[in-house]
Amino acid sequence: MEIAYYPGCSLKQSSNLYDIQTRDVFNRLGIIIKEIDDWSCCGATSAGKIDDFLAIAMPARNIGIAERQGFTEMVIPCSACYSRTLVAQTKLAGDPDLKKRINDGLFRKVKGDLKVSSILEVLARIPKQTFKQKMTKKFKQMNAVCYYGCMLTRFPVDVDIPDDVENPQTMEQILKLIGVHALDWNYKTACCGASAAMNDPDTALMLMHKIIDDALERGAECFVVTCPMCQMNLDVHQDKVCEKYGIKKRLPVYFLTELIGLALGMDIQDLQIDRHFIQMADA
Amino acid sequence: MATALNYDPSSSTSFLEEVMSRSGQPLTACYQCRRCAAGCAVGDETSPVTPDRLIRLLMLGEKEAALSNDLVWKCVSCYTCGTRCPNNIQTGRITETLKKISKETKKAPHLPKVGYFHDSFVKAGLRWGRVNEMEFMGMYELKHLRDKFMEKDFDGIKQEIMDQTKFAHSMLKRKRMHFDFLIAGGRNEIKRLYKKFKKDQS
Repeated sequence: MEIAYYPGCSLKQSSNLYDIQTRDVFNRLGIIIKEIDDWSCCGATSAGKIDDFLAIAMPARNIGIAERQGFTEMVIPCSACYSRTLVAQTKLAGDPDLKKRINDGLFRKVKGDLKVSSILEVLARIPKQTFKQKMTKKFKQMNAVCYYGCMLTRFPVDVDIPDDVENPQTMEQILKLIGVHALDWNYKTACCGASAAMNDPDTALMLMHKIIDDALERGAECFVVTCPMCQMNLDVHQDKVCEKYGIKKRLPVYFLTELIGLALGMDIQDLQIDRHFIQMADA
Repeated sequence: MATALNYDPSSSTSFLEEVMSRSGQPLTACYQCRRCAAGCAVGDETSPVTPDRLIRLLMLGEKEAALSNDLVWKCVSCYTCGTRCPNNIQTGRITETLKKISKETKKAPHLPKVGYFHDSFVKAGLRWGRVNEMEFMGMYELKHLRDKFMEKDFDGIKQEIMDQTKFAHSMLKRKRMHFDFLIAGGRNEIKRLYKKFKKDQS
């Protein structure tokens, strides 16, 4: 069964490595994904600050496309795109007038029965056996902390998600299947500042500092993330944060797909882990 | 802030109602328990205005103070406040609404950079149907450098250009910059929808 795939703008540019990893890793694990036709920008967290109608219409279009292409499920690796698409779906379901108004302007209209999934939900369904069969490498002790960020667990409307909102566990469970021990820590769902890294750097650096500080105190050796914005902030700006706050150690920031890919025998260059700012050697 | 409040029931109620209806949040249910303030990611930075106090300002009809405090502009929409509120008040949605109302007053926003960023992002998403990072960052930088130019902050302009060039260079070096041009054919669907929506509103 094919799952619809929505990469989003970030995965086609600065986080392109995540797109490549997701496709490759899913392929090796036997999950067939297909990029939906002519997808458009979901508006991310910015649309809600400009216009509420646009903030629903932009992601709604992609739901319509996936449904009309015959898919029953759509996986969205980017946390912001996932959040906005799920919120749009929920809003349309609760407001038939809005749904009609938006559908009137869409070529491929929204029905509303598509299952919108995060990358964690899809990976969590893979049986332990499949991982066992396909894994060719084992990790040595690598105390990781799972960083979920805001958008996987907190939404501006009531939505049903398959994980705990304050203390999610799905990433830790998946890591366990590939032999990585995840430490418990306080800042799992803390905010990294997201776009504030650009438009309000002092605030973002302060938020990132809190996250890095707690991880270090717990003895973490790396972060594991699924959100491209969080990965970019913690990776690209880590030197800035650490210089400002006098932190000597550096923690690599891995996408979950990178660790799974490595366990499946893929190499660092193919996964593009060499494109991170913080490399293992610096840690 | 003044120590004595000039409270005018009719004007304060209308502003409160506007914010409640546009944000869709039941502000009047707030009993100031401060779970929101305790979890607010930027609360320490925006003190004395934390989410609970913002709601209080709105209830008292303090429009000026409600639109031009640090919280409204530094709020990163992490939605921690709304997730923990026992009355399901999503203050993250309130700050988003206030950002929009501020833009409509045509007065300079409290933290202009934040407004320019989100504006440039959405415009870039609409224009080609997909956000081209360099185009959107370029628009954002031009807007805020123009402000600096008007203030004659030439050192600031130089610093910003140097910082952004350094950043771009580091992204290029790590091969995190991609030069494909992203475009979606269906962008006109969204543009037309939005145009019709705005026409229906007026």
